Amino acid sequence: MKKIVGSVVAAIVIALAFAGWLFLGRDPMSFAGGSTVALKNYKAGNITGVPTQLASADLVKRGAYLVHAADCQACHTAPGGAPFAGGFAFKLPFGTIYSTNITPDKQTGIGNYTDAQFLSAVHKGIRADGEQLYPVMPYTSYTYMTGDDALAIKAYLFTLVPVHAPAKQNRLLWPFDQRRLLMLWNVMFNQDERFRPNTGRSPQWNRGAYLAEAMGHCGECHTPRNVAYALDNHRKFSGALTAGWRAYNITSDKDSGIGDWSDQDVYLYLSTGHANGHGGAAGPMGEATDDSLSYLVPDDVHALVTYLRSVPAQASDVPRIVTTPAPASYKEGTMANGDVRGQKIFAGACASCHDWTGVSPVTGYATLTGVRAVNDPSAVNVAQAVINGVNRTTAEGKIFMPAFGEGYSNDDIAAVANYVTGRFGAKGAKLTGKDVNDLRKQATR
Amino acid sequence: MLTLTINGQSREVDVPDDMPLLWALRDHLNLVGTKYGCGIAQCGVCTVHVGGKPVRSCQLAIGDVGTRAVVTIEGVGRTANGAKVQQAWMEVAVPQCGYCQAGQIMSAVALLDSNPNPDDSDIDAAMAGNLCRCGTYIRIRRAIKKAASKSA
Repeated sequence: MKKIVGSVVAAIVIALAFAGWLFLGRDPMSFAGGSTVALKNYKAGNITGVPTQLASADLVKRGAYLVHAADCQACHTAPGGAPFAGGFAFKLPFGTIYSTNITPDKQTGIGNYTDAQFLSAVHKGIRADGEQLYPVMPYTSYTYMTGDDALAIKAYLFTLVPVHAPAKQNRLLWPFDQRRLLMLWNVMFNQDERFRPNTGRSPQWNRGAYLAEAMGHCGECHTPRNVAYALDNHRKFSGALTAGWRAYNITSDKDSGIGDWSDQDVYLYLSTGHANGHGGAAGPMGEATDDSLSYLVPDDVHALVTYLRSVPAQASDVPRIVTTPAPASYKEGTMANGDVRGQKIFAGACASCHDWTGVSPVTGYATLTGVRAVNDPSAVNVAQAVINGVNRTTAEGKIFMPAFGEGYSNDDIAAVANYVTGRFGAKGAKLTGKDVNDLRKQATR
Repeated sequence: MLTLTINGQSREVDVPDDMPLLWALRDHLNLVGTKYGCGIAQCGVCTVHVGGKPVRSCQLAIGDVGTRAVVTIEGVGRTANGAKVQQAWMEVAVPQCGYCQAGQIMSAVALLDSNPNPDDSDIDAAMAGNLCRCGTYIRIRRAIKKAASKSA
């Protein structure tokens, strides 16, 4: 009897400890230590809202800047659909959830939302009818946003042309289709607390923290999730698989993170989606750049860099990046005796821009040498780039790679991804056609 | 205003930085020997040499050319390998319709510049990105080997 009681007690203690550990992982800024104060008691500078340049702009202009900073558009727009009209599919292990229409349409959008209802959605994940939102809407991040900033965003959204776009029906497995259960989840994982500046850190750091956590919600893709699918900030920014693409480790680990990047390279990558020698953003990070980060003023991007640099380094499962180009002849190098199919496809479809060395004679955007995706033995992002191509519009012009997904079979794409990671990266991938088929299904576009 | 070295001459052209080199060559410099094919670097028709490398000019922004010398089909015959390849092309009578041939010749010359005696697999690796819808591949291979065997 004693034994049984002892085991039960031990099991309860372990379960509580585990729950506590999960719970403690919810605070994205706890790594910074030190003490925090309520925003109104922070006197070192303005860290929320718009940058100084826009301080006297009208509410809608300020809202426009903040809508970009919070990157509402990327998720609230379906591929090819009207901006902010929703319908973007999130393919998750337990089903598919669609983003909703946040244009001011009164029937199908948020046209009837009061300020209080809007704040409730942004901070607490509760929509106007009182139902819970799924946390694919990153309210656990937006909860740190000030009420003023959230209402500036609302003011901007209400200037959009209303689009009639009824919500698409989510397709979720039981019990995940029971929205009420999220009340419990929220008790565990939504702090429901506005941003508290850290007095031990500089105003620039605090601005960066506000932009990264309350607005840009970087962790929603770059931080791994726990068993409850909440962000596990014990492993903050150490990389995760999101929407079929890998969001890489952006901690300062020298091998698997970006510890070897200069501050200027991080700045360039965030503001333009590209830094020479590190490759360019594609997939979801390409969208984050084009819809959000590229709109930030230089001071704000520098603040993000400062904040990012302060996150503790964590090693993850990707190797150190190879920065030496491959030999000029295909007959030399690590894959010289490798997969002939991958090599043949590379010769016909890839070599003209990417070169046999991996250093593109066309544009730095097409250089493969030194790129994290190429040095990722899972080859997930290489395969996604091959399937979906790259089609970005930036201030410097169009950045383009053809999408090969329609023209090449799954086996072909696996072969060329394995070849590319082997020839130009640290370790060749072992993708199969089935893996590529799965990757096609996971990505939204 | 951009200044480029094209076929050994300094040429000025007043176009936006992000214009593809192919557009500038054909529409602004009257070098129409280089053809437009797919526009997405997948057919090889628009191949020119930039800094000695074969490059698809439809995807190269003119602003990214920098100081690298550009050689087009109009100028390649004045290089040693260019002359040999063009001679071999005539002897073998490679072209059928001819649309892809400027690109084929530019890729073939670049191959011989880096590898004077290519074997079949070298030719495959270098020429795979140049498509020919008439199917002149066998004659292309023969002409490249013939050019390689010619003394300079």
